[in-house]
Amino acid sequence: MNRQKQFFRNTLIFLLLTLAVNAVLNAVYDRTMIYHRLNRNQDRQFEEYNDTLTFLMLGNSHDMINPAITGNSFNYASPGEVYTQTYYKLKYILEKTGKTPEYAVLSVDPANFSPKAENTLKFDGYWRKYVDYPALARETGDFDYYIKWFTGRFCAYIGNYKFIYMSVLFRDADFTQVKNGYRPPRDYRNFAEEPDRNALGLERATSYLAGYGNKPDKGPETYFRKILSLCHDYGITPVLVRMPLTDEYLMHARKLVDLDNLDRQIEEIAGEVSGNYILLDFREALSGRPELFFNADHVNPRGADIVSEKFRARMQAHINP
Amino acid sequence: MLFNSIGYLIFLPLTVAAYYALPGKWRWILLLAASYLFYAMWKVEYVLLLMAATAVSYYAALGMEAHTVKKRKKPWLWAALTVNLGMLFIFKYLGFFTGLISGLSDLTGLPGQIPYYAILLPVGISFYTFQTLGYVIDVYRGVTKPEKHAGIFALYVTFFPQLVAGPIERARNLMPQFRQEHAFDPAAFASGLRLILWGLFKKIVIADRIAMLVQPVYGQPEYFHGIQIAIALPLLIIQVYADFSGYTDIAIGSARLMGFRLSRNFNRPFSARSVADFWNRWHITLTTWLRDYVYFSLPSRFRGKTAAWRLNLNLIITFTLVGFWHGAQWNFLIFGLTHGIYMALANISKPMMEKFNRFSGLAAAPALLKALNQASTFLLVSATGFFFGQHSFSSTLTLLGNIADFSNTGIALRQMLQNNDFTLSLILIVFMLRFEALAGRPGWKEHFMQRPLPVRFAAYLAVLFFLLIFGIFTRQEFFYFQF
Repeated sequence: MNRQKQFFRNTLIFLLLTLAVNAVLNAVYDRTMIYHRLNRNQDRQFEEYNDTLTFLMLGNSHDMINPAITGNSFNYASPGEVYTQTYYKLKYILEKTGKTPEYAVLSVDPANFSPKAENTLKFDGYWRKYVDYPALARETGDFDYYIKWFTGRFCAYIGNYKFIYMSVLFRDADFTQVKNGYRPPRDYRNFAEEPDRNALGLERATSYLAGYGNKPDKGPETYFRKILSLCHDYGITPVLVRMPLTDEYLMHARKLVDLDNLDRQIEEIAGEVSGNYILLDFREALSGRPELFFNADHVNPRGADIVSEKFRARMQAHINP
Repeated sequence: MLFNSIGYLIFLPLTVAAYYALPGKWRWILLLAASYLFYAMWKVEYVLLLMAATAVSYYAALGMEAHTVKKRKKPWLWAALTVNLGMLFIFKYLGFFTGLISGLSDLTGLPGQIPYYAILLPVGISFYTFQTLGYVIDVYRGVTKPEKHAGIFALYVTFFPQLVAGPIERARNLMPQFRQEHAFDPAAFASGLRLILWGLFKKIVIADRIAMLVQPVYGQPEYFHGIQIAIALPLLIIQVYADFSGYTDIAIGSARLMGFRLSRNFNRPFSARSVADFWNRWHITLTTWLRDYVYFSLPSRFRGKTAAWRLNLNLIITFTLVGFWHGAQWNFLIFGLTHGIYMALANISKPMMEKFNRFSGLAAAPALLKALNQASTFLLVSATGFFFGQHSFSSTLTLLGNIADFSNTGIALRQMLQNNDFTLSLILIVFMLRFEALAGRPGWKEHFMQRPLPVRFAAYLAVLFFLLIFGIFTRQEFFYFQF
């Protein structure tokens, strides 16, 4: 009996220790994780933004349109963001901040509609602020969203060794470069100097598009529709952009999926929900210019500025024909 | 239900708590209900299949008991073999054979086109079929007495920790344990928890991380060459080991929480000094099953004497069956056949190798000889990685074609070394093998258990939080679930 008592006492001590270590790790991770810091910095800048809001850029790290070039804009795109998160963020902006943009800019590459896109919903520790996880669980019938809420709230560090590593690597990150939410894209690598661009193009294309099928995935499609509906309800014009990709990425992407067919289907969806959307196709705008990319599917600062200039010109032509 | 899922994290503690809360005589009911629930969480319809296998084997054994003469027992044995193997054939092998007949018909121009059947493979069918067959054969041979209690027998077939991927238990080991009243034993409970933690570590941190590196090579072999394939082959074998032995540790640990002792399934296979030794250490319950029920049943005598060539042929047949047990694919057949040939060749060349070792002086340097044998065994086993897995046979041919192309070695190596998961995997593999070697030493566990409580707690917390931070939490299925 004594052995049993001792066992239960030790087990209790161990459980308490586990909970204590977990609480410390969770708190440290929440405060120091590089993307949490980056996103919260962006949130602060948006709160402080008081100019006219003509363009609000939404989406993920591909949506590198520089507000300094486009003017009267805020770039609220964040790393790894998927349509589900974008929908809840836009909903929060429109309902809680009272700031309504004239145009909502959103990238619409087939990669955004990949079956893998919905599963990559991450940084739950930060996104708890926006995303209604229980509602998502009810709507999709996916119990995992409850788990995501729970881990985001109580143990956000779980499985996130890569972000811990990045947070250590970029612990002294300089956020003063971030202006109107826009963080100049990464520039410590140049795609033109990569020895095997073909392999890198394959790796990126595969990571987004392998196992795709011939239709946009229902998950991202649902929230894409919701974003467009939200825009419609608030009188916002959606600007759908195909951001530039390298030739190597596109070559492999075309082998994996029928890009033209998917583009057509995405346009049809947009047309069904929103009658007045604008489509800007820059996908091959930087073809043959690997030096303007950081990697196979992300522009570097120079590439971003060229695209931003093209965006400004096209939108100006649209606004003042 | 997956061992590495939230569902199991809830299911297991509830079952264990209820197990100890119930009086001994009712516990089998709880375990049986929990086991059916465990299986039904995957696919409820296939519980019927499990029940059918149970019923047939139960009644066949009782039928045999009614007769003392073997001749009279035989129809019962054949009935059980036919039904159990028939179900296995329909669900696992029918697609392969219909495809084969259609392929031959295409090739020869003879009529024989039949529809291709691909039925969803019931998870664990190869494991529970072998377990029930072993029981029926043992009863036939008089090694085991038939179990009269239908509930206990059903529990023997369905016991959830080992239902879907083994260890394949013999009735004489597991069945009596269901009749014992297990009092709560803190030492056994703690040992079970340690095994579960280590199993999860191997699965979530090591196996699933290596899988991220290996899967693209097997999934899109046309894009990989030379060094990439040469590294993927041993990595696959290590991935399967970490995955399957991790699963087994969780299974054994889960059973131990309730006082049950399941059979050992792995014994440091990468320290094997020959391919035969490897199979004595890898998936032990399958190889001993095939040894007892297949290998020993094959004829070994020729012209009145035991013939070496017959024994070697039996080895090749048995290991081809090992391959085919894994999956109804040419890849697995070749995998098993190759291992059989390895062992037959080792037997044939044994006198020659001994002479060579004496002549070269290796026999006088046993440590070097041991290291060379271990390395060559690992390389031989790794080479069969071409044929291990659910990839298509055409993918295997592509891999075989591409491995000779080492033109991209520099770039490929640079990319691998830039990949943190690759570097981390290598460190973790060394850690896993070293830790298991240490833990296997006599007295090591006792030595660890004598350390002060804070030291032990620190060690457990380190493993637990390393697992939580570095684990791949995308709920990858266990590799052996596909068999």
